[in-house]
Amino acid sequence: MVEPAQIGSGDVVFETVELKKHFDGGKVVALRGVDLQIRQGEFVSVIGPSGCGKSTLLALLGCLDKPSEGTLTYRGQSIPDLPDPASYRSREIGFIFQSFHLLPTFTVVENVQIPMFEGKLSRAQRKERAVGLLKSIGLEHRLGHLPSELSGGERQRVAIARSLANGPSVLLADEPTGNLDSNSAQQIMELILQLHAEMGMTFVLVTHDLAIAERAYRTVSMRDGRVTSDRVSNHTATAAH
Amino acid sequence: MTLFTVVVRGLLRRPVRTGLTLVGISIGIAAVVALVGLASGYEKSIGKHLDMMGVDVVVSNIRGGFLPKAFDASLQPRVAKLPRVAETTAVLMEMQSIEDAPMMMVSGREWGGFTWGNLNLISGRMPRDGKEHAVILGRMAAEVLRKKVGDTVQIEAEELPVVGIVDGRAVIENGAIMLSLQVLQEVTGNQGKINFIDVRVSTSSSKEDVSRLCEQIKEIFPEGRAMVASEVVSTSQGFRIARAMSWSTSLLAIIVGVLGVMNTMLMTVFERTHEIGILLAVGWKRWRIVYMVLCESALLGLFGGLVGVALGALGIWVLEETTGIRSLLEPDLSPKLLVTSVAIAVVVGVIGGVYPGWRSSRLSPNLALQA
Repeated sequence: MVEPAQIGSGDVVFETVELKKHFDGGKVVALRGVDLQIRQGEFVSVIGPSGCGKSTLLALLGCLDKPSEGTLTYRGQSIPDLPDPASYRSREIGFIFQSFHLLPTFTVVENVQIPMFEGKLSRAQRKERAVGLLKSIGLEHRLGHLPSELSGGERQRVAIARSLANGPSVLLADEPTGNLDSNSAQQIMELILQLHAEMGMTFVLVTHDLAIAERAYRTVSMRDGRVTSDRVSNHTATAAH
Repeated sequence: MTLFTVVVRGLLRRPVRTGLTLVGISIGIAAVVALVGLASGYEKSIGKHLDMMGVDVVVSNIRGGFLPKAFDASLQPRVAKLPRVAETTAVLMEMQSIEDAPMMMVSGREWGGFTWGNLNLISGRMPRDGKEHAVILGRMAAEVLRKKVGDTVQIEAEELPVVGIVDGRAVIENGAIMLSLQVLQEVTGNQGKINFIDVRVSTSSSKEDVSRLCEQIKEIFPEGRAMVASEVVSTSQGFRIARAMSWSTSLLAIIVGVLGVMNTMLMTVFERTHEIGILLAVGWKRWRIVYMVLCESALLGLFGGLVGVALGALGIWVLEETTGIRSLLEPDLSPKLLVTSVAIAVVVGVIGGVYPGWRSSRLSPNLALQA
């Protein structure tokens, strides 16, 4: 078992013990026993080759799927046994996906409002908040545009704004720069780091790009459904001194 | 943006398919409006006809089709002698194809009877007596047949002159050809035959008296029936058939509508699996997804219902303008029927959306996102 890096000083947000996930009745094994602790405020990158199970791990953390075996908790509460998984996804978690996953028939400002339907904001408050979020990431000139009218980088910015809609305490990003050119990828990473620095939320970022992973404070490497290393990034360790 | 915006956007995503589904529902609802409106109109017009004539009890044969089978006129004096009977009049009524009109009511009325009393002469004159071989036309019948006073109408083999045109204040009268009972019996070869005895009871009679009278008539006319005027329509075999046909056709149309909505919404859910996955991922509750699908299908039903009501009203207007039908029917497009039809359409929409909604709620967010 790999010793977890002790970077975050806050409470344990996620904890997995011998976490396993298989599909097709056990024919396909995605996770073979993952032990991991993620603390409040950490910025963790999960890196590994395609098929190593990193996206599956992210889906389990976000309660988009259920584990086959093992323990998976969020602030001490079993995620698979949550009485209201939708509320968990709505209030606690923000997702950022590689393919943006924006609704094509809704404008930018409408896409950002979509998660807010589960909150208690009025229509006007929802719009005001969405506009505010989009302004904060420099998309105020794109409010009424459809996703198809935006560049890849802009679409991902909209997705980031949407992930922040309900003020989550955790952001889960699955290859957020995977579909972007290098320039846009750089800008998105800067934005993500800036958000983390400003908001202090816990961030788990899945990537197969080592350069992107190195930007995080902690890097968890995976291979064949297992964690193979868990270490503090050099620049972070240096910065800490 | 509200949930309504999301619902409308979902429907407008595939405008052609949504439009075709709307057309399907509309046709179904138009059928409901037209058929039930016509059946209800027929019911009301007969009720109005009896009311205008001041008929309290109607005696007729049990057997028969659209009109009861004819029986011997000798029954009339026996009925007239029963207690509480103030007045009786015999009628022979036939449905015949007259010239260009496919079906028209020909009403032979006992000369001097009270059924002549409610007719207001518009032009010409009434027959001089019960033996004059002449007819008078209701005003709609005159329009349909394009006849005026002085023209002739052929009934069976005989050309009968039109001596007058009348307003009977009920569609049955206005759409009918009226003549003396004796003349109609002669012309049609039904001497001594009638198919209705209209009875007026004495003014002091209670409901119980009228019911007792009906029982007494049944005793002297076992193969016949005596009905209080208000029950004539509901017990009429012809009307029962018409009402059953209109509702069964409507039911079929409704079933087709449900299947249409279900098909559309299932297609929508399948096509939008990925979007539903996004909604689940960003925290939408499953009931909200179901609610969204049901709202979409209900909205389809609502618009389909509104268009259908308009189409049904248009269809009835066309029928009203159609020669032959015009004189027989007075459609009843009551607000109750229109509201009920729209409500049926909404229910059709909701029922059609239940299964697709349930399917959408069963999706795994992770698998849906990968769709």
